[in-house]
Amino acid sequence: MATVSLKNINKTYANGHQAIENLNLDITDGEMLVLVGPSGCGKSTSLRMVAGLETISGGDLYIDDVRVNNLEPSERDIAMVFQNYALYPHMSVYQNMAYGLKNRKVPKDEIQKKVEKAAEILEITNLLHNKPGQLSGGQRQRVAMGRAIVRNPKVFLFDEPLSNLDAKLRVQMRIEIKRLQQEFATTAIYVTHDQVEAMTLADRLVVMNEGNVEQVGPPIELYEKPATQFVAGFLGSPAMNFLDASLNGNRLTLSPDVVLDLNDPNLPTGAHDLEVVLGIRPEHMEACDEAGADFTLSVDMIEPLGADTLLYGYFPGTDTLITSEQPGKQQFKRGHRLALRIDRERCHLFDKATGKRLGS
Amino acid sequence: MHDNAVFSHKVLPYFLIAPQLIITLVFFIWPAGQALYQSFLIEDAFGFSVEFVWFENFIYLLEDPEYWNSVRVTFVFSALVALVGMILALLLAAMADRVVKGAGAYKTLLIWPYAVAPVVAAVLWWLMFNPSMGVLPFWMDLFGYDWNHYVNSGEAMTVVVIASAWKQISYNFLFFLAGLQAIPRSLIEAAAIDGASPFKRFWQIVFPLLSPTAFFLLVVNIVYAFFETFGVIHATTLGGPGSSTKTLVYKVYEDGFVGLDLGGSAAQSVILMIIVITLTVVQFRYVEKKVQY
Ligand SMILES: Nc1ncnc2c1ncn2[C@@H]1O[C@H](COP(=O)(O)OP(=O)(O)O)[C@@H](O)[C@H]1O
Ligand SMILES: [Mg+2]
Repeated sequence: MATVSLKNINKTYANGHQAIENLNLDITDGEMLVLVGPSGCGKSTSLRMVAGLETISGGDLYIDDVRVNNLEPSERDIAMVFQNYALYPHMSVYQNMAYGLKNRKVPKDEIQKKVEKAAEILEITNLLHNKPGQLSGGQRQRVAMGRAIVRNPKVFLFDEPLSNLDAKLRVQMRIEIKRLQQEFATTAIYVTHDQVEAMTLADRLVVMNEGNVEQVGPPIELYEKPATQFVAGFLGSPAMNFLDASLNGNRLTLSPDVVLDLNDPNLPTGAHDLEVVLGIRPEHMEACDEAGADFTLSVDMIEPLGADTLLYGYFPGTDTLITSEQPGKQQFKRGHRLALRIDRERCHLFDKATGKRLGS
Repeated sequence: MHDNAVFSHKVLPYFLIAPQLIITLVFFIWPAGQALYQSFLIEDAFGFSVEFVWFENFIYLLEDPEYWNSVRVTFVFSALVALVGMILALLLAAMADRVVKGAGAYKTLLIWPYAVAPVVAAVLWWLMFNPSMGVLPFWMDLFGYDWNHYVNSGEAMTVVVIASAWKQISYNFLFFLAGLQAIPRSLIEAAAIDGASPFKRFWQIVFPLLSPTAFFLLVVNIVYAFFETFGVIHATTLGGPGSSTKTLVYKVYEDGFVGLDLGGSAAQSVILMIIVITLTVVQFRYVEKKVQY
C-alpha cells in the first residue's frame, strides 16, 4: 500500500540533454498509472528515476511521504519488470524469483513458500527448475512478473513489458497484468508507447510529449476531451483527422463550401477569423444522402478490416488526407463518392498556434 | 553444367587448400616428425655416432630431478602469469566498461602493449628492473629494499611474470571488455533492485556470465605462458638464478642448443607437444559445447 508523488522533477543527462522538464504526478494507493507517449518522450527516464536507476536532477520524489531521492533502488521497496525481462540467465526460475528475498535475508522456508505461491498464481510451477533460456517469451514474461510479485513491494514499475511479445500473447498478458495488479491492489506505474495498451490498462493515463506532460486523467476522459491536439492525435485508432479551419463566433469555415455552425457556448466569444484546427475522429463522420451531407469524399484507398472498413481520401479543396470509418458490411470501390456528415457534437477544436483545446 | 570444366571437382578443393597444407606440412608436421624421431636417438655432440634407443631419453628425463624442477617452475610461472594477467585485465575492463567519455582513447592505450614484440617487452622490463641501472630497483632502494633478481630467485620469478603478464593483459582486457559489454545493463539493474550489493552483483551476476570468457582466456594464457615466453626469459633472467625460472621450453633450448643433448631435448619437445595438443582439445571441446545457461 503506497502512494508515489513526483514534485517538480527534472532530468538532465550528463550530455546536457534535458529529458524531463518539471514533472508533477500524484499516484494514489492501488492505482495503475500509465505513462504513454511516442518513443523518446521520456517515459523510461521518468520510471527509472522512480526506481532509483537514474539520478534525479531536480525536484522531490516521495514514496509514502518519505523523500526517496537519495535512496538506493533496493531501499525504495519497488519491483520492476523490464522490456527484455532481465532474468538472470544462469539461475533457474526458482532462483530468479528467490534472489530478491535471499538478499533481504528472508528465511529459506519462507522464501520457498512465497516463491511456490507466486508460481502457482502465475501457473509456472512446472517451470521452477528450468533456466530462462529454455522458456518461451510468454513464460519469461510470467517469470519476470513472478519476480516482481514475490517480494510484495510497495510499487510495481513496468517498462514496456509486453513489447517483445507477439500480438496475441500481448493481449493475453495485458489482461493478466491488469488482473494481478487489481488482485494485489498494488500501486503501479506502467510505461508504454502503445495507446491501446495504455487505454485498456490505465486507471489514469498520462500522455507525455518531449519531456512534458500533455494531459492526465482517466482514459475515456482523455479520449473524449483531449486537452491538446497532440493528445487528440495520439489516442485512438485509426487516428483523428485534423483539418485547418477558421472560426468566427460559432461558425467554422473549413473551405468556401464547407461551413459548420457549432453549438458550443464555451467557444471563445467574439472569435474573429481565428485560425483553428478541427479534430474529428474517423468514426464520427456518418454516411448520409447528398442533401444532408457536409461534404463528399472521393475514396482513394480502401482498407477492409472485417468489422469496419477504413476509407481514405482528400478533403475537398485541400491536400489533407482524411480517414473515414464505415461499417464493414458495405462494399466500396476506389473512386466511390461518399457523402459524409460531420457529427457536430464530436467536433474538437484546437487553437492552431498553441495546440490547446477550445470550447468544451 | 559442363563436365569438362578446367578443374574436375576432385582436384579443385585440394588445389585451393594447398598453400595452407604446404605451410602446415613444412613448418609443423615435418619438424614435429623430426622431433619425434630424434627423441628416440642418442647422438654425440659432434654427430659422429647415432644410436636408436627407443624410450631411453624419456626414462632418463622422468628420472631427472632437474626436469621435475622445471615442470614445477613452469606450473608456478604459468599459474602466476594467467592469474596476474587475468585479474588485472578484468579490473581494467570493469573500469573501462563504466567510462563514458574518452572510452576510445582509453581502450587504444590498453591495447598497445599487445603490439609490442615479446622480446622488446622483455628488454623494457629488463631495463626497468636492472639492479644496477633500473628505475624500479632505484626506487626500492629509497625504501631500503635491495632488489637483485640475479641472486634472488623469488625476485627473478617476479620479473618474468610481470614482463610476460603485462603483454597478455591487453589481450585479456579486450575479451573481458567484450564479455562485459555483452551483459545487458538491465540485468545489473534488476539485481540492484533485488537488493544485491555492488560486490554481490559482480560475483553473483556478472562473473558467472563472464565465466565462459574467463575459461577461454585461462587456456589461452596458459598456452601463452608455456610456449610463448621464451623471449621474455631469455632477455631477462636466462632461466636463472640457478634454475629458478627455467621453464620447460627454456630447458628444451638450453639442453638442445647449449648442452647439445639433441635426443633429450627432442624428448622434451615431444612431451610439450602432447601438452599443447591436450590443451587445444580441452579448449575446442568446451567452446564447441557452447555454454548452457
Ligand atoms: N543515458 C542517456 N544519456 C543521454 N540521453 C539519454 C539517455 N537515456 C535517454 N536519453 C534521451 O532522453 C530522452 C528520453 O529517453 P527515454 O526516457 O528512454 O524515452 P522513452 O522511454 O519515452 O522512449 C531521449 O531523447 C533519449 O535519447
Ligand atoms: Mg523507453
